[in-house]
Amino acid sequence: MLFSLAHVAFAALALVQQIDTTVPVQQGQRLVVDSHGGDIDVTTWARNAVRVEAESGPRGGVEVVTAAGTVRVRTEGRRGPAPAVDLRITAPAWMGLDLSGVYTDVTVKGARGPVNVETVQGSVDVTGGEGLVSLSSVEGSVSLKGARGRIEVHSVNDDVNVSDATGDIVAETVNGEIVLERVDATSLEATTVNGDLGYDGPIRSGGRYELSSHNGDVTVAVTEQTSASFTVSTFNGDFESVVPVTLRDARKGKRFSFTLGGGGAQVSLESFQGTVRLVRPGQAGKSE
Amino acid sequence: MSDQWTDRLSEYLDGELPDDERAELEMHLRHCVACGAVLADLKRIVARAQGLEDRGPERDLWPAIAARIGAAPRREVRRWSFSLPQLAAAGIALMALSGGAAWLLHPAAMLPLASRPLASRPLAPVSAPRPAGQPLDGLRQGDSQAVLAVARQPRGAVVGYDAAVADLERVLEAGRGRLDTTTVRVIERNLATIDRALAQAQRAVAADSANLYLNSHLAETMRQKLELLRQAAALVSSVS
Repeated sequence: MLFSLAHVAFAALALVQQIDTTVPVQQGQRLVVDSHGGDIDVTTWARNAVRVEAESGPRGGVEVVTAAGTVRVRTEGRRGPAPAVDLRITAPAWMGLDLSGVYTDVTVKGARGPVNVETVQGSVDVTGGEGLVSLSSVEGSVSLKGARGRIEVHSVNDDVNVSDATGDIVAETVNGEIVLERVDATSLEATTVNGDLGYDGPIRSGGRYELSSHNGDVTVAVTEQTSASFTVSTFNGDFESVVPVTLRDARKGKRFSFTLGGGGAQVSLESFQGTVRLVRPGQAGKSE
Repeated sequence: MSDQWTDRLSEYLDGELPDDERAELEMHLRHCVACGAVLADLKRIVARAQGLEDRGPERDLWPAIAARIGAAPRREVRRWSFSLPQLAAAGIALMALSGGAAWLLHPAAMLPLASRPLASRPLAPVSAPRPAGQPLDGLRQGDSQAVLAVARQPRGAVVGYDAAVADLERVLEAGRGRLDTTTVRVIERNLATIDRALAQAQRAVAADSANLYLNSHLAETMRQKLELLRQAAALVSSVS
């Protein structure tokens, strides 16, 4: 176990402790950060090492432990939960990230590996990420840019934004809007209860796109080349389209279907009491 | 809308149509967008059921679950076909079982947030507890008698759902003192938002009970409530 407990840095007793620790890492290791309060700010570099910088007060400390599969960074309190400690971490771009906190804003820039972020009272802002990219916050917004792979973005009480991303996407919030801009998804599920939904990106042949809101508008960008079978459902809302469509079926509850082009993709757009819109590219993320 | 074929789509999806009828239906699907849309809905429901994690409980939980939802005893496995309203009811039952009982019964939910494996984290997709030793392979009777029982008796689905919600609400109520007051307020505000949406969806379904969209939307909103309660309960556990 070359890396088993190879390095431990702990600073808890000094009144104000500057922490600046760098530990070597190997391909395949994952960075696990657990912070009760304070920001987690991760940037990347080309070195195979993880650098942890923080400033700890008298009641807390930061523990850095390397093991075979992980580098674990944890804030600790001498009695009870750790006080707020801002963590600035530099890691290899390839490194998988597993970051969690409670009163914690999380920022990641330049990741090229899997990213998992969970926070309760804080926002999440990630640039990059490949493979499984899973971001969640209860009270804060979630923003993801430039990711590739399986993307899962969740909030409860705020907005979700995904841009310049590629892959299979699940986006969900309760009380916020969801905006997906310049997104290339072959599978998309986006759901909000009380907010608008917008998707602006190619609709791929064979892809499945499901967007659903209870109270908000659902807007999807289409072009002359769009080839998809659309199903639009609304109970108490409207439907608007910049492209002419022929409605082949209309049922009770305002549910109807139509096809653009050859119908290569399946698109389901639902809003219980909002407007479903087909717009031109560049317009889907804009509120009416 | 072709009623003749719409009622056969479930059999088609299950691969149970005779060859000649299957060919005729496939011909029909080429030009009937409406039937294509319904078929897509059915596939979505089945895909979601199949997508539930195949993780059996550590002990046989079926007797207690069956008692709660009033399901029949286990019988030998065979395939079933569903009408559209039955599928919607089955979806609700799956969500009730997976959203409530799975959280309560999964030991990983009691671990601290950062210690839990990804699949059991609060916002991960829900898992479905089923009788031990029975694999999930589409909507088969052997997956869960409960699903089929409530499919035939939609009221049973609501009973199971209500019980799951009540269980999670008790966990949240018991642990609310351990959560930050701001977090509690946010959770309650969002639960209220979902409850308002639920009430509207329920009224709409009551007025048009055969509407697949309304049933599906109601089920989805119920799932969202369960998911938020499950997440809140997991937060309580993580700070215990």
